[in-house]
Amino acid sequence: MVELKDVSVTYSSGVDALEHVNLKINDGDFAFVVGASGAGKSTLIKLLLKEIEATSGIVTVNGYQLNRLKKRKIPELRRTIGIVFQDFRLISSMTVYENIAFVLRVIDAPRKYIRKRVSYVISLVGLQAKVHAYPTELSGGEKQRVAIARALVNDPKLIIADEPTGNIDPELSYEIVDLLRSINMQGTTILMVTHEHELVRRFGGRIINITEGQIVFDEIVGGLDEN
Amino acid sequence: MKISGVRYLVEQGIENIWKNRMMAFASFCVLLVSLLLVGVSVLGYQNVNSMIGGVESKNEIIVYMEDNTSVEKLNEIGNQILNMPNVEEVSFYSKEDAYLALKEQMSDYDVLFESLGDDNPLVDSFRIKIKDIEQITKTVSQFENLENIYSIRAPYDFVNVLTQLRLILTWVMGAIILAMIVVSMVIISNTTKASVYSRREEIQIMKYVGATDAFIRLPFFIEGMITGFFAGCGALVITWLVYDAVVGILENQVALLNIIGIGSVIQFHDIYLPVTLAYVLGGACIGAVGSAVSTKKYINV
Repeated sequence: MVELKDVSVTYSSGVDALEHVNLKINDGDFAFVVGASGAGKSTLIKLLLKEIEATSGIVTVNGYQLNRLKKRKIPELRRTIGIVFQDFRLISSMTVYENIAFVLRVIDAPRKYIRKRVSYVISLVGLQAKVHAYPTELSGGEKQRVAIARALVNDPKLIIADEPTGNIDPELSYEIVDLLRSINMQGTTILMVTHEHELVRRFGGRIINITEGQIVFDEIVGGLDEN
Repeated sequence: MKISGVRYLVEQGIENIWKNRMMAFASFCVLLVSLLLVGVSVLGYQNVNSMIGGVESKNEIIVYMEDNTSVEKLNEIGNQILNMPNVEEVSFYSKEDAYLALKEQMSDYDVLFESLGDDNPLVDSFRIKIKDIEQITKTVSQFENLENIYSIRAPYDFVNVLTQLRLILTWVMGAIILAMIVVSMVIISNTTKASVYSRREEIQIMKYVGATDAFIRLPFFIEGMITGFFAGCGALVITWLVYDAVVGILENQVALLNIIGIGSVIQFHDIYLPVTLAYVLGGACIGAVGSAVSTKKYINV
């Protein structure tokens, strides 16, 4: 669960990135966060990952109250969150398998479990044929699938997808959102940040619009697929 | 962390050297040159210091005894001198030996010696080498307290010159060594930073998936340690070869060795253990700590 109570973030430059934001995303929700560049979407993600501190207000993520969270506990928080980036951020010197497995190595999981779990998530994203490929040998869509598998592998409560379709073809974008939706159906909360309105219109669901640091719209709308 | 986890991180560290071989090679070269700069400076200082010691040891204090001091008394005083803490070596030089030596030196003045007849105007003496020449004043005053002392001749001026020379050398070489260490640290720091910078994304990804700082740093630590270890080995081999070659050249300089003494040039086999340890451990420690510290900037995500 993600909850922001009257949260504001002001950067040292004086820019108010978020202003008195109240937001609650329940376990199992799928929400799109939309907004123009500089609206505060990235600040929201940084806040949820405790990369930055809220200037005021209370932020709770997966049961961790971030305002009170000690620095040494940050890895613990992040292990409950899966993150997917627009630019994939795969480690170029590692194969697909290693890129995914390494998340479980971080939490010191047994080797046997790592083998089993990684094979499973690779099959979920349909990349069985690319297990030993390096990121440079993959297409944009395949890279994003690896990133999603990596975000999924340690069974996080929440996946934050930051513009996951920003660097791939439109047709592949739908596949990526479909994949995230199917993961959501298994019970994982998904927060997908995007500026692609076409994508949001097509899929519908809960849409949170951030404009100039404030939530100006937060409602569930029907998608074109449903019509 | 489980043993399997540590094993994985150690394996990662070793693998990373190969995967980032260009940066690893750059770090290796920088560490090698830095270790050589410092190592050669220290060895140079030790040798020059040893050479000054060689010159010092050639100087001695002469304690002249009163005439007609009995043999028993001479033995007693000889033992007293030998038991003094700063005394290295004592040799007795009888007045008969002194007379013969003088006669030999002044063979052109036989007439002078003939005029003396059986009279020997010289006295018995002790030739003393001391351990620490800087303590000469204190040691001479201890000799003065002995019985039956006629006079003492000590090379105060020479000692002053050597003491000054050693002091200047210590400061100059100390400054050079310090400068070498600072330069080396700056170069090593920049190289390891560049190496870590090239992998900053990897570090950031690790942080985002919940890796602890220790998990991220350990492979860098291992990688730096291995690179540093091999740089230390390389520096050791180069130093050994160059050092032996230089010592070989010095040993052919008879005139120089006459001044400083043949034992003043330190042989590599006499110092190989501390030099090996300093290079290998120094290289490994600098490499390991340098790499681990350089990750700090990118770890705060």
